[in-house]
Amino acid sequence: MGFNFDFALSTVPTIIGAIGTTLLATVLSCLGASALGFTFEMIRRGGGAPGLAVRFLIDFVRSTPVLAWLYFLYFVLPFYGIRLGAMTVGILGLSLYYSGYLAEVFKAGIDAIPKGQQEAARALSLSRRDTVVFVIAPQMLRNVAAPLGNYLVSILKATPYLAILAVPEMLGRAFDIASETYRYAEPLTVAGILFLALALMLAYGVKRIEQRLLASGRR
Amino acid sequence: MLEIWLGILQGLGITAKVTAYGLVFAVPFALVFGVAQFLTTGLTRFLVTAVIEFWRSSAVVVLLFFFYYVLPVMGITLSALTVSALVLGLNTGGYASQAVRAGLQSLPAGQREAGMALGLSRPAILLLIELPQALVAMSPTFVNNLIQLVKATSLVSLVTLTDMTFRAKEIAQTDYDPVAIYSALLLAFFVVCYPIALAGRWLEARVNPESGTPRGI
Repeated sequence: MGFNFDFALSTVPTIIGAIGTTLLATVLSCLGASALGFTFEMIRRGGGAPGLAVRFLIDFVRSTPVLAWLYFLYFVLPFYGIRLGAMTVGILGLSLYYSGYLAEVFKAGIDAIPKGQQEAARALSLSRRDTVVFVIAPQMLRNVAAPLGNYLVSILKATPYLAILAVPEMLGRAFDIASETYRYAEPLTVAGILFLALALMLAYGVKRIEQRLLASGRR
Repeated sequence: MLEIWLGILQGLGITAKVTAYGLVFAVPFALVFGVAQFLTTGLTRFLVTAVIEFWRSSAVVVLLFFFYYVLPVMGITLSALTVSALVLGLNTGGYASQAVRAGLQSLPAGQREAGMALGLSRPAILLLIELPQALVAMSPTFVNNLIQLVKATSLVSLVTLTDMTFRAKEIAQTDYDPVAIYSALLLAFFVVCYPIALAGRWLEARVNPESGTPRGI
């Protein structure tokens, strides 16, 4: 049985229909990873025992595959009586996995802020929280926008992992079609093209924003 | 507990094999396409970039399933190990090719000009002057790419290869102890990848002493 082009075309609407789930998983995972990554970086900066523990956790997360984390959460959480939907577990897994990388992004973004900013905040006797919220974070956002955008693309490319937990995102839908019709080549080709197109478009958008930030920074 | 640990380690051989075979695809691809993207212009550069982007910008999960199921339809039958090594290797190679190109681009033009002044041919300048410097400068990035490759091998468990991840799932079928089994799986990958990351940090400090913050992993 060869490649049936008409059949491939007929699978497009069903697979594109799941684009909402793919994008939702991407955005929520990126938000979760950013929140967790920023928290980790703040604790790491604080030093002491919690700082050391978080430093190890970040290294641990980055030395282990995302698939292993997804299995871990998917099977271990119910063992402790925590029952969550597959989509939630998937988003938690991606958030945790990418938080390790985003912590490094935030670290670099904060390190790039001139030291005088923090010293000035202390001279004005701002509290540590106010310094982070009103002095560090706004300046950090410009520094981290570009690498954060690149990780958004990486997270998009990691969302098909959720198909393994039977989340009906685009790859999951493609597998649904495949198991109903016993034809794998066509739906997987369609899913492959859609993911590639989506990743290239998102990467292009990120590049445009990066250029705009660079231009406004020079002004 | 010890039984679970040893059971998972039975998959270490396949994990190592896929990584090694993956490198067989990744290293030549990264060198050839990274250099090609650096040297070419116009239509040729567009075609080279298109090939790199296909491997780099596609989701690796989708690529693996795509080649696993589509190649047989096209009459090409490869073993699961070959397909896995090909897909994971070329995906990693796509990432590494960008480091090769960036490394070459960041060299001062004086390096090439000095080579030309000495009467060296273009290939000689590339092989004797540019590539050695670029590859050394980018070596910490290549170490990161290697770690990404090792971690990506966990995917081969989905195409029937009995790597560490597959072994964990197998053990989980007979033994209801998810906490121990999946903790052991994470730990097994950590034991493999963390020393590579530390080696990468050491390299970074050697190659790039002025950057105070090691990137690692």
